[in-house]
Amino acid sequence: MADQALPGEHIVAPTSASDDVLRVEHIAKSFGPVTALRDVSLHLKKGEVLGLLGDNGAGKSTLIKILCGFQKQDAGTMWLKGEPYEPKSVENARQLGIDVVYQDLALIDDLSVFENMFLCREQRRGRFPFLDKRRMKKETRGALDDIGINLPRLDVPVARLSGGQRQSIAVARGVYSHADILLLDEPLAAMGAKEGAMILELIARLKDEGNLSMIMILHNYVHVLESCDRVNMITDGIIALDKPTKDTSVEELTEIVVDEYRRARAAAQADEAGGRSSIAVAEPDAS
Amino acid sequence: MSSTIDSGSPAAAPTGGPAPKRRAPRSAGTPLALAKRFLIAREGSITVVTVLLTVYFIATLSSAFTGTENLQALIPYFAPYAILAVGEVFLMINGEIDLSIGGVYLFAPYLYYELANGHVPLLVAVLISFVACTAIGLVNGLITMIVGISSFITTLGTLFTLEGFTLIISHAEQVTAPGSQLAGSATSNSLSSFASVFGAGTYSELIWALIIVAIMHVVLTQTSWGTHTIAVGSNKLGAAEAGVRVRWVVIRNFMVCSTLAGIVGILEAIRTSSITPDPSGAGVLTLSAIACAVIGGTLLIGGAGTVIGALIGALFLGILQDALAIKGVNADYLDFYLGLAILLAMAINTYVGRVRKGSGLG
Repeated sequence: MADQALPGEHIVAPTSASDDVLRVEHIAKSFGPVTALRDVSLHLKKGEVLGLLGDNGAGKSTLIKILCGFQKQDAGTMWLKGEPYEPKSVENARQLGIDVVYQDLALIDDLSVFENMFLCREQRRGRFPFLDKRRMKKETRGALDDIGINLPRLDVPVARLSGGQRQSIAVARGVYSHADILLLDEPLAAMGAKEGAMILELIARLKDEGNLSMIMILHNYVHVLESCDRVNMITDGIIALDKPTKDTSVEELTEIVVDEYRRARAAAQADEAGGRSSIAVAEPDAS
Repeated sequence: MSSTIDSGSPAAAPTGGPAPKRRAPRSAGTPLALAKRFLIAREGSITVVTVLLTVYFIATLSSAFTGTENLQALIPYFAPYAILAVGEVFLMINGEIDLSIGGVYLFAPYLYYELANGHVPLLVAVLISFVACTAIGLVNGLITMIVGISSFITTLGTLFTLEGFTLIISHAEQVTAPGSQLAGSATSNSLSSFASVFGAGTYSELIWALIIVAIMHVVLTQTSWGTHTIAVGSNKLGAAEAGVRVRWVVIRNFMVCSTLAGIVGILEAIRTSSITPDPSGAGVLTLSAIACAVIGGTLLIGGAGTVIGALIGALFLGILQDALAIKGVNADYLDFYLGLAILLAMAINTYVGRVRKGSGLG
């Protein structure tokens, strides 16, 4: 299994199915000299929760940002419910039914809880351009109650809130945006165990309903096995593993990562050795 | 397709699960709490200072200050600043600044003059001038957001360009503002309704200022334009990730700011019935407008600001200027006092900001 992770050696082909709500093929993305994604293909079934794993810097977040319309891929194609999917903007993607919870949360410190909840999809009073703050507060209250998050006030700036509270607001914003597909980039990152459990419970409930499909980046393999139907692992900019959760285990996932670390360390040591020799060559010049 | 737990909108969802904590008891209501709430509001400190200043001047100057004549004379001391400051507030909340308003202020009346001399109807000439100012704002915005030059530099460039251009087309000569002459025949002693509306009427500038302040206050606090303006100033990347069209938000505010500067330019030209190409006066006007926004409680770093605060800041500046004139204080003292006022107001604002953070009030 670990062999698959070798760069370019084996790319898991996406297994196509008629009930795919989202399919991406051969996505590549570079930032200047840095290649984030080399050739990523994946698919998401209706009502499925796909866990996206991979080392830091493997390209998970980049993939999420491409899927949600924030960035544009250099190459590759995407399909949403059978139609070609080329989001022009985050707003455009949201209109098409894809919403996202970013790793950095994308919360605005100076705006209140309810203003953040409805940022870019503000509720207006009928045809007037004026904000319907009362309705936004009410719906925010409903959403937070539903998750089980208690906030005494919704009109305080989110800068005042704890890391976990901020995270819950970001998750609530994504979940209650009426999306068909929700992308979650480390939704439990800043949370304590209790808040994290609430969010996982919410995700389990949404999964049971079967309407929402999710791609979720998680680091805790226990959470992955608990919440996801299937896992994809990104290594070196490709999908190196695609398995139903029931066919894998914490041990297997850990083994892949440990193996990756081993290779990385070997590579680093080789680099270091190379680096030393170059310094050694350089030294006579310097003295 | 709904992603909510229960059918229907989230609002309709029963509040199952853990019982929601009751809201914190509302302290607002008692006079003391109201006073506290007011004092830590962004506009609070400048309002208090302005009121104290007014009381002091009423006490020491009595009727010379409170007389109708003086109150009318006060208007041009603050209304133009209020209008300019409102435009700056939006940009400063964005974390940007517009130094070119002085240039626009100079340029707009000359464009109006040239158009009117070209036999364009006065009202049309005014409207074309306003649109031209909006276009200048668009250029400021495009250079800042698309080319990627800091707004300080961009607008410094447009400031000098416009000042220079105005001097060139005007040959640095003062002219009479078209439409500001007495209406009808030379014997008539009344203002034309055009002139009354555009600056020359006693309360014209005040009404313009109050309407603009009211509209922009509503825009800032009650529309998504305002929410997005704060979002961009507070967290540009986060706002973009959430789908805010960051560039458009900033460019739009540049357009508003320039338009307001053009309005002030033409109002002042018609009020004084003369158009003077004086870049130094325009420079002072620009900095005063920014000062009004700052002492009113708008942060230069972005993310927060208030339109009402800018109005009160302008009122403060106007009252100070007017009362010192009545008192017969040497005009040289004005800048001195204004400078101290800015420092004091900012010190209070910073302190109040800390109190506000701990108070749980927005």
